[in-house]
Amino acid sequence: MTSQVIEGGAPSRGRAFLASFIKNILPAVPLLLIVGFFFLFPIARLIYVSFLSNENTFTIDNFKTAVQEPYRTGFLNSIKIGVFSAAIAAFPGAVAAYFIETRGSSKLRRTIAVMSGVLANTGGVPLAFMFYAALGIQGYLTKFLKYLGWDLYAGTFSLGSFIGLLIVYLYFQLPLMVIVFSPAIVSLRREWSEAARNLGASQFSYWIRIGIPLLFPSFIASFLLLFASGFSAYATANALTVGNLPLTPLQIGGLLDGNVSAAQLNLGKALGVVMIVISACAVIPYLAIQRRSAKWQKG
Amino acid sequence: MAKGIKVRFQPPLAITLLILGFFVFVPMISAFEYSIRTPLTGGYGWTHYIWAVREDDFFHYILRSMWLAGVTVLITLFVLVPTLTWLHLSRSKVRGLIDGLSLLPLVIPVVAFAVGAQISFPEFVQNTVLELPFLYFVLALPYAYRSLDIGLNSIPLKTITEAARSAGANWWRTITAVIVPVIRGSVMATIALTFALSLGEYTLTVLLHWDTFPTWVTFVAQDNILGAIAISMMSLIIPFLILTVITLFVPERSMQGRK
Amino acid sequence: MSSKSLTLRNISKRFGNVNALDNFNLEVGVGELVALLGPSGCGKTTALRVVAGLEHQDAGTVLVADKNISDVPAHKRNMGMVFQAYSLFPNLTVEENVAFGLQMRKVSKHLRLKKAHELLDLVGLDSQSKRFTHQLSGGQQQRVALARALAFEPEILLLDEPLSALDAQVRVNLREEIRRLQLSLGTTTLFVTHDQEEAMAISDRVGVMNNGVLEQIDTPDTLYNKPASSFVAGFVGTMNRIPAHISDGMVEIFGSKVVALKRGNETGKVHALIRPESISVAATTAQGNAKVLTRSFMGASSNIICQTEDGTIVQSLMTSASTGDLLPGSSVQLRVLSSEVLVANV
Repeated sequence: MTSQVIEGGAPSRGRAFLASFIKNILPAVPLLLIVGFFFLFPIARLIYVSFLSNENTFTIDNFKTAVQEPYRTGFLNSIKIGVFSAAIAAFPGAVAAYFIETRGSSKLRRTIAVMSGVLANTGGVPLAFMFYAALGIQGYLTKFLKYLGWDLYAGTFSLGSFIGLLIVYLYFQLPLMVIVFSPAIVSLRREWSEAARNLGASQFSYWIRIGIPLLFPSFIASFLLLFASGFSAYATANALTVGNLPLTPLQIGGLLDGNVSAAQLNLGKALGVVMIVISACAVIPYLAIQRRSAKWQKG
Repeated sequence: MAKGIKVRFQPPLAITLLILGFFVFVPMISAFEYSIRTPLTGGYGWTHYIWAVREDDFFHYILRSMWLAGVTVLITLFVLVPTLTWLHLSRSKVRGLIDGLSLLPLVIPVVAFAVGAQISFPEFVQNTVLELPFLYFVLALPYAYRSLDIGLNSIPLKTITEAARSAGANWWRTITAVIVPVIRGSVMATIALTFALSLGEYTLTVLLHWDTFPTWVTFVAQDNILGAIAISMMSLIIPFLILTVITLFVPERSMQGRK
Repeated sequence: MSSKSLTLRNISKRFGNVNALDNFNLEVGVGELVALLGPSGCGKTTALRVVAGLEHQDAGTVLVADKNISDVPAHKRNMGMVFQAYSLFPNLTVEENVAFGLQMRKVSKHLRLKKAHELLDLVGLDSQSKRFTHQLSGGQQQRVALARALAFEPEILLLDEPLSALDAQVRVNLREEIRRLQLSLGTTTLFVTHDQEEAMAISDRVGVMNNGVLEQIDTPDTLYNKPASSFVAGFVGTMNRIPAHISDGMVEIFGSKVVALKRGNETGKVHALIRPESISVAATTAQGNAKVLTRSFMGASSNIICQTEDGTIVQSLMTSASTGDLLPGSSVQLRVLSSEVLVANV
C-alpha cells in the first residue's frame, strides 16, 4: 500500500510540474527564447566582456580608461546634448501636443501622429542633408538670415558643432515629445476642468491646482525619454560631425569599426556598459512614472 | 449627447502648426529643392531621381530593406499576438516578468546593443542577414508589445475566445479569424510601427556591417551628393506613404486607445 | 438657507443642425428637486450645462432668484455639480477634493477642512478623507463628488446622471441618500437622468423631455396617471397600446365601452393606452378573448403576457394570489379595470 502511494506519487509530481509548466510558461517560450538569445544574451555578454582584460582575465581597467580623457569628454558631451536637446524640445513639444490633442480635428490628429512617427525616426544622412540644405553654408535659411543681417557663420558655428548638432537633434526630439506626451493630454479628462470651473476655479487656478500637477509627472517622464534618445543618438552625429566633437556613441562606433584602436580591446564594451547605466537612470524612472499615472487614468 | 464639436478656426492651434510646420518643412523643402536641381542646364528636373531608380543597387537595397522589414513584422505578429493573448487569458505568473522584459530594450542604447550583438552570436547567425529581423524585433518590442497590449485590454477577450472555442474554432482559428480582426486597429498600428522602424534602422545595421537601403544612402553620398539627396527624400517619403496607407485602412476608433 | 429658485426662460441652443434646446422653459422652486427625464439626445444634459454655464445658450435667459445670470461665467456661478463619473481630481486627497470649492472661495484652511469633514461625515466617508480617489469604489467616488458639490453651500445643486456608472444596488442606495441630503439641506436641485424609475423615486417633479422640448412637467403621480402626450405615456412606466374603435367619446375594448380621455381622433381607429395594472386576466372555461403566453412570478405580483384574437400582445400586472390558474396556453378573459382610458392616433 505505502509503496504504491510513493510510486504513484513521484511520477504524478513530475506530471504536475509538467502540467504547471505547460500552463504557466510554455506559450511564452518562443518570446522568451528570442528575447533571451537576441537581447539578454548579447547584453549579458557585453557586461561580462567589459570586465575582461586583453588576456581574458578579470579587470576593471576598461572602466578606468572609460572615465578618462578623451572618453570623459565624450560622456559629458553626450549627456549635455541629451539634456539640452530634451530641455529645449520638451516644453514646446508639450504645448504643441496640448493644442493638437485638444483643438485639432480627428483628421489632423491622425496626420500629425503619422508624421511624428516618421519624423521621430529620421536621422543619419537624410537628416544631415536636410540641414545642410537649410542651415549649411549655402543653405536657404542661412542666406535668408544673412539677408536679414545675421551671418550665422561669422563665428565658429557649423552643423557639426555642439550647437549645430543640438539644432538638428530637435528635428527628431520635438516630434518624439509630441508622441510621448500626447497620451498624458488625452488622459486629462474634460470633467476635471469642468468640475474645477463649477467649483469656482478660474482657468489659471485650474492649471495651477489640477492641470499642471496632473501633467507634471508625464512631462518629467517624457523629458527623461528624450534625454535617453538624444544621449544615445548615433546616426545623425555620425553623419554631421567629423571627429571634432567627441560623443560616446561615435567613440564606441569608432572602436567597433576598428577605425580607432585602443590598447584595451574591450574598452568599447565598457563604454557601452556605462552608456547603459546612464540611459537606465533616465528610462527606468520614465517607466515607473508611466506605470503610476496609468493608475490615475483608471479614475 | 451632442456637445459643442465645432470646427472653428483655432488661433493657438494655427500658430502651433505654423511654427512646427516651419521647422519641419524648411529643411525638407530646402533639401528637395537641391534634389531637383539639374546643374548642367541650371534648371529643375527629376534627373537625380531617375538616376537613382536606374541604379541596380537602388532596387536591390530597397527590396532587401522591404523584405527584412516584412520578416520583422511577421516575427512580431507570430510571436507577440499568441503570447499576449495567452498572457491576458491565463493570469500566468510570468506576466509581470514579460511585461518588464518587453520594456527593457528602451533602456539599452542601440550602440551598446550593437556592441553586444557583435561579440555574442555564433558564426552561422552572424553570417546571415536574417539576424537583422530578430534584432529589429527586439528594437521594436517595447512599442509593438504596448500597442497590442492596449488593444487586447480594450476588448472582452475572455468572452470572445470562449465564444469562438465553443463554436468549434481551434486556437489557431480563434486567433487569426477572431482576435486579430477584433483588435485590427492595434495590429495595424503594430505593423506600421515595426515596418517603419525596420525600414529606417541605421545604427545597428551599419555597426554589424550589413548593407540596407539606409546604409546605401551613406555610401552613395560619397560620390554623388545630389543623387544621395534624392534618395534621402525618397527614404523619407516611402515610410510616410506606407504609414499613411496603413492608417487609412484602419477605422479611426480603433487607432486610438480611447474609450 | 442659501438655496435659491431657478428659472430658465426661452432657452435655445443648437449644435450644428441639431436643436438641443428649442425655446425651453423651466422653473424650479426653492428647495425643490426637479428631474429632467428623457432619451439620450433629448437635450436634458444641455439644459443642465447651460444652467452650470458650461455651455452658453444661443438665446434665452437663466435666472437664479430673479437675478439674470445668463452671462456670468461658470466659475462665478454658485452651483454645485455632480458629473456622471471620473470627475474627482486624482492628484488631491478626498478631503482636498471636498474642500476645493471653499479653497477657491478663499476660505481659511482650518474652516474649509472642518466643513469638508462635516460633509464627508454626512455621506459616511469621513474615515476615507486622507485617501486618494482612485482607492475608492465607484459608489464612494460619487459620494465624495456629492460632498464636494455641496461643501460650499451652493445656491443650486446640479446632478448630471450621477448614478449611471454604478451597479444596480449601489444606485438605489445612493439615490435615497441624495434625496435625504437634499431634503435636510433644502438645496434646490436639478437632476438629469434617463432612468425613469430613478427620476420618479426621488423627485418632487419630473420633466419629460423629447427633441429639446419639455413635453410635460408634473409630480411623478400625475405623470404616471395622466401623461400629457403619447410620448410621455410610453416613456414613463409600461403602457399597453391596444387597437380599439372610438365613437361618441367612448372606446370599445375587450367588449366593453370606456370613456376616452381627450387627444386622438374623434371617431375611427385609435390606440387605447392602458397600464398593465389596469387590465385583469381571468381564466375562463368558455371561449375567452385572449390566450396566456407567459406568466412571470415576481413575488407579491405576477406579470401576465397575453395575446388577443387579433394578435395584440397585452401585458397585465396582478397580485400573484389571483394568477395561480393562468397557465400558458389557457384561454382567458381580459377586462379593463379603469373607467377612463387615454387614446392615441394609430
